[in-house]
Amino acid sequence: MFRPGQRVRVRNPRKTGHVRTPSFIRGKTGVVETWVGTFLNPEEIAYGRTGGPAVHNYRVVFRQHDVWPDYAGSRGDRLYLEVYEHWLEPAAGNLRGG
Amino acid sequence: MRGYHDIGGQPAGRVRKLPETFDGWEAQAEIVRNLLADAGRRMTYVDELRRAYESFGAEKYKALSFYERRVEALLYLLEEKGIVSREELDARIAHITLRERERQRSEPKPRRAR
Repeated sequence: MFRPGQRVRVRNPRKTGHVRTPSFIRGKTGVVETWVGTFLNPEEIAYGRTGGPAVHNYRVVFRQHDVWPDYAGSRGDRLYLEVYEHWLEPAAGNLRGG
Repeated sequence: MRGYHDIGGQPAGRVRKLPETFDGWEAQAEIVRNLLADAGRRMTYVDELRRAYESFGAEKYKALSFYERRVEALLYLLEEKGIVSREELDARIAHITLRERERQRSEPKPRRAR
């Protein structure tokens, strides 16, 4: 499990088929904002496998400047995205991104 | 690998903002979709619909509207699961089309307002 304030990187596996993590966020580093809950994995339900197990989901906050190389908005702009645990790995440091 | 449906951050030009309106069939499609997933049926799930239209190929996916995609995916899944066959569906469509034609023919012509 991850805890709020922890820095995480979104994994970029060579996974085919239905996934819920958009490509634009893969490889990006953010900070866990909150634990959302546990849910049946939509990537399993998509193939009719509804028996579980349930997986953790987190709301992760990213700096827009980290997500888009040519971002023209304010330095303070943030992107919030809900990501399943198997798409996250710990990243260096655990301070909230400034 | 980025699928054709995964368009976040891709160049898209200017976004046209139109007032959101729904056709009656679009609401019906969502009602049917919800009923097929309810506790009593558990026949199709929205994640399966996504998996289905993500496998249609880019050409078909882009040619369909949001709700057309969902209906096509629903039909695909009902057939995949052996719940409704394409023949049963075609027969039902033909039946309803004929019934509606009959109904229109038998209805009195609307009178012109004074």
